Amino acid sequence: MKFSDETLLAYLEGNAEEGQAEAIEAAVADDPTLESRLMALDPLAPVVHRVFSAVPSEAPKVELPEPQPSLPSAAGAGVMRLLAVAASVSVIAVSATFWATRPAELGWAQQAAIYQSLYTPDTISDMDDSPAALDAQFAKAEAQLGRSLNRDVLEDLPGLDLKRAQVLSFKGKPLVQVVFADAEGRPFAFCVIKQGDAAQNTEVAQAVLSGLATAKWTQDGYGYMLLGGDDQADLTNELDTLRGVFTG
Amino acid sequence: MSNETSSEQAVRAAIQIHSKRVWRFGLALSGASDIADDLLQATCLRALERHHQVTSYERLDSWLMTICRSIWLNELRSRSVRKAQALSVTPEAELVATGPDVETNIFAAEVFNRVMELPEAQRETVMLVFVEGYSYRETAAMLDVPIGTIMSRLSNARQKLKTVLQHDEADTVRRSGK
Repeated sequence: MKFSDETLLAYLEGNAEEGQAEAIEAAVADDPTLESRLMALDPLAPVVHRVFSAVPSEAPKVELPEPQPSLPSAAGAGVMRLLAVAASVSVIAVSATFWATRPAELGWAQQAAIYQSLYTPDTISDMDDSPAALDAQFAKAEAQLGRSLNRDVLEDLPGLDLKRAQVLSFKGKPLVQVVFADAEGRPFAFCVIKQGDAAQNTEVAQAVLSGLATAKWTQDGYGYMLLGGDDQADLTNELDTLRGVFTG
Repeated sequence: MSNETSSEQAVRAAIQIHSKRVWRFGLALSGASDIADDLLQATCLRALERHHQVTSYERLDSWLMTICRSIWLNELRSRSVRKAQALSVTPEAELVATGPDVETNIFAAEVFNRVMELPEAQRETVMLVFVEGYSYRETAAMLDVPIGTIMSRLSNARQKLKTVLQHDEADTVRRSGK
């Protein structure tokens, strides 16, 4: 049986339709490819991985007995050393293979989409969007990014109600998520990441990520992304406006 | 003789490479960093004693994890269980407070605490799959349960963890003075 990404994601989010969860679990038992797809789509795995991979912060101490005395002859010791090196290399190679065959690491856009996909209308309905709160949030966000977020433009986007600017971080790079409520109160977001001068400019690329329509582009060291409230969201108007304003 | 020596060297190398993840797994099992220290130390000594059992240098990492879990279940768990329960009250959140800003640290601590509060079977499964990157079937083999059990444990854990991000939002709102 074939399962779409949407079906798998619904399963991972606990929203699978009647009977689907059992069908997926049964299919995974015989299908390592499906298993890999499912693992790569899991929205919680990267969040938990990130937190725990920093623990412990330093390599823990282990006290081991000294290795057994090596052979008396010089030739024998040389062989031993070679074997030891061969053994260590094989362990490292295995370890490297393991890491290489893990599900591909997610980029900032996928991570931001996963995070955003967990937002519900309830998440944003109670946000403090008073001018004072937004002033403070934008000041902080703009300082982190080292550029203006053109708040006046964001506040004037038709059909969108500015709710909050939040500073996040992706691999040490500041990532700002600006959240809006659309006319129906659903979450909508605009993200900006400071990527540095080495980042290549890219044209607008649209994709459905984590069930959200998204549009992403890179210009002059910053990455930008719009995230709609669902996979059908039309981003055209916002895209036109923001592409014109965020030119670098 | 040479085979024996090379397997010992391989185990020593594996200990060097994987000590962090064994310690982390020990922390997840026991819920206390001093027990994780003991578990790591005991695991490494046991692995060295048994280096002659190593027939393949592949997957020495999962071999170490299996030894760690077996020592926990058979030798340390009953002694430590009171301590482990205490953890859910006073989690060792300072272990994760290494992020660049307060909000990140609060969020990381929240994720850390929620994982550590999971029931033990879910917690060890989450650690092996989400944190250490083992596949469902590798984890099933390590824990000696069917793959379906691994998936249902993860489903249950996801249900408990998915509120973390929403809680994070609520906290942010509260802190901002609403």
